[in-house]
Amino acid sequence: MRQYAGFWALLRLALRRDRVKLPVWLLSIAVMASYFANALQVAYPEKEDLKAIADFMDSPAGTVMSGPGFGWDDPNHATAFAGAYALYLYLGAAFLTVLLVGRHTRVEEEAGRLEMVRAAAVGRHAPLAVTAVLTVGASLLLGVLSAIFILPADYGVGGSWLFGASMTMVALVFGAIALVTAQLSGHSRTATGMASLAIGSAVAIRGAGDVLADQGSWLSWFSPFAWAQQTRVFYDGRWWPLLLGVAAAGALFAVASRLQARRDLGAGLLATRPGNAAAMPALRGPLALALRLERTSLVVWAAVLLVLGALYGGLTDSVQSSLADLDNQMVIDAMGGDPTRMVDGYLATCALFNAYVVLCYAIVALHRLSVEERDGRAGSSLAAAVSRPRWLLAGLGAALVGTVVALLAAGVGMGATAALVTGEGGHFWDVVLGTLFYLPAIAVLLGIGVVGFGIAPGWLNGVWLVAGYAMVVGYLGFALDLPDPLVDVSPLSHVAQVPLETQSALPLVVLTLVAAALVAAGTARFRTRDLTAG
Amino acid sequence: MSAVIEIAKLTKTFGPVRALDEFDMTVQPGEIAAFLGPNGAGKSTTIRVLLGLLRADSGSVSLLGGDPWHDAVDLHQRLVYVPGDVHLWPTLTGGEAIDVLHRLRSHVSVTRRDELIERFELDPSKKGRTYSTGNRQKVALVAALSADVELYVLDEPTAGLDPLMEQVFQDCIRELRDQGRTVLLSSHILAEVEKLCDTVTIIRNGRNVQSGRLDELRHLTRSRVVATTRHDASALAGLAGVHDLEVVDGEVSFRLDREHTGPVMKALADLDLVTVTSNPPSLEELFLRQYAGEATGEAVSR
Repeated sequence: MRQYAGFWALLRLALRRDRVKLPVWLLSIAVMASYFANALQVAYPEKEDLKAIADFMDSPAGTVMSGPGFGWDDPNHATAFAGAYALYLYLGAAFLTVLLVGRHTRVEEEAGRLEMVRAAAVGRHAPLAVTAVLTVGASLLLGVLSAIFILPADYGVGGSWLFGASMTMVALVFGAIALVTAQLSGHSRTATGMASLAIGSAVAIRGAGDVLADQGSWLSWFSPFAWAQQTRVFYDGRWWPLLLGVAAAGALFAVASRLQARRDLGAGLLATRPGNAAAMPALRGPLALALRLERTSLVVWAAVLLVLGALYGGLTDSVQSSLADLDNQMVIDAMGGDPTRMVDGYLATCALFNAYVVLCYAIVALHRLSVEERDGRAGSSLAAAVSRPRWLLAGLGAALVGTVVALLAAGVGMGATAALVTGEGGHFWDVVLGTLFYLPAIAVLLGIGVVGFGIAPGWLNGVWLVAGYAMVVGYLGFALDLPDPLVDVSPLSHVAQVPLETQSALPLVVLTLVAAALVAAGTARFRTRDLTAG
Repeated sequence: MSAVIEIAKLTKTFGPVRALDEFDMTVQPGEIAAFLGPNGAGKSTTIRVLLGLLRADSGSVSLLGGDPWHDAVDLHQRLVYVPGDVHLWPTLTGGEAIDVLHRLRSHVSVTRRDELIERFELDPSKKGRTYSTGNRQKVALVAALSADVELYVLDEPTAGLDPLMEQVFQDCIRELRDQGRTVLLSSHILAEVEKLCDTVTIIRNGRNVQSGRLDELRHLTRSRVVATTRHDASALAGLAGVHDLEVVDGEVSFRLDREHTGPVMKALADLDLVTVTSNPPSLEELFLRQYAGEATGEAVSR
């Protein structure tokens, strides 16, 4: 037990450090669950009203975005909640523990604080054990809170607890994955990035698997999100799929512990390669520097988007054939009137989905501004002959270049496979253009980020709220039956669902002008404020 | 009494890089031991092996009579460590960080903590992220020096301190010496080492290139003598113990072996001596001689 010495002191330290962040995360997700559960009943009081979203959700596009859905043929509020919204709550649960594990493992180690801690009378396994216990505790608490918060919606007590248990399972599995990736890389960003990649892959695998067969195929079962969805919450609830998650989490915890015992403090299992001894001639000026810093991250995101796009595009064929023998006229009407339009509807929805991923990438890329400032590197650049606007616009420019590349990757991946499997070359250009049309809307959100950064580096985070709102409205807005002004305020609402609709030029021009105005305002504000570090 | 630190033929590699190459070091109880070497020579790697944070590839390491890897927890009860680059938890205050570090070991004195906070003029109520480099270092020093332990491992602890605070630090180390504690001090500030330390170990390229008591090491080098004489001093070149003699405008300078000091000074006096200065070999000289060695060769091979 000497290996675990210092466990309680470290646990108290971990709780002290997380006394704000963790409760905020837990409550936010539980409140979201409660909000979705209740809003659904307000927006669609009658069963007939639910039919409209049920028909969309049961289509391939709806399946990709939300899951297999059980009971769509005879929907009630409880099954609609589980079918349409639960996946997004599971996503929140996954990110909660991935970020929690990240900040208690690699971040501490990389910053050198773990070295000081381990030099005290602290056992080799104690820090990891504390993080594991914290993860399990947070996951359990999340499950309990989620269940309690949806109890008032009156979906059934047993089902509510099963939903809570599913939340716990998802949080546990991805926390355990993050614990393993924390052992693999010596850099916290890479470690958390790998775990986030696992979340993205799990969503994509589940999407593809669920489109292949009604109520999920063999492929779905490779995704922890499918384990949660296959509990068939509020339909004919079953608990056994959760055991898969518990077993996987247990195995991953053991792997993490073994990996940790074998490595040196500060070292990763993935080796770091030496780089160039001198800067390339092209690495000159703030924009070149920002692009160089962005390079690795962009390559990974672009590769993921290419694969994600190709996966969705490759399913176009089976979407088409599943629609060919569809006799539900209501679904066909909901998707545009005739079966060929339904393929367009599917592609347009997938393009929107890809645009969301690119939006997340773009904001992460823009965050380099605040990270550079906090770590004092902005000061080094600004102390050289670089003006503030030039430095800020360089960071924004790198994020925009990255956004274009990411959109292209997603569009080309999806367009190429869609054209290949259907034999219709027109799909390629439709999809590539349709994806690129999101650029001005994403630029507006980046502009909001620049305004926030202009006020203070921490305010850059505010753009996540706006982006989250835009995403919820863009995808679930019609289901929540929001009034038009609330929908129109989101920049994403002004991008047409190509190829289902056609894009007119005016919205794109207006969005571009708005973005430019926001950037100008943010830059002007940044010129007048103090630099916080460096 | 057995040695506090006993390292023999310690080797540690990181991939193709050989950080420590059959490195030896010994520190006896009650010693203030200086650990010197150029950047990247292997000082921090050695300390991390001593703390059980890195596992040795080969060789033997004994710390306070135990094995630093296997007995880490028990040994850490008996030592404290101050890293060269102190990082604090951004949301915890300095006072909280000190207490957290204290709670991770047993023998800590609260009165000593408060006394040291006062002596180092530290504001313990500020958040970790708002401290300057020097103040972060003070937090780590207060946490370490208020612990009642046998061994103090300090890795460049004064790099960020102002001269006044460095004085406080030196006083604290002298107090530890008076109490018979052992200190391993890695430092680049040679004046500090000269004032505080009994023994010196110099590491270069992961190897021990020089070690021993500071006064003994001084014997190995020569004093520098500069004198003005009315008569020509060139003849001194022939005396035993005189090296590198130069005469410019009646001023003579040379290096002198310690054991020949008497006869040479006598000869100088006979030349109608006007002024004379004799400087003992500084640690810096010792140090530069050891550091410079094959430095150029390394630069080429990299």
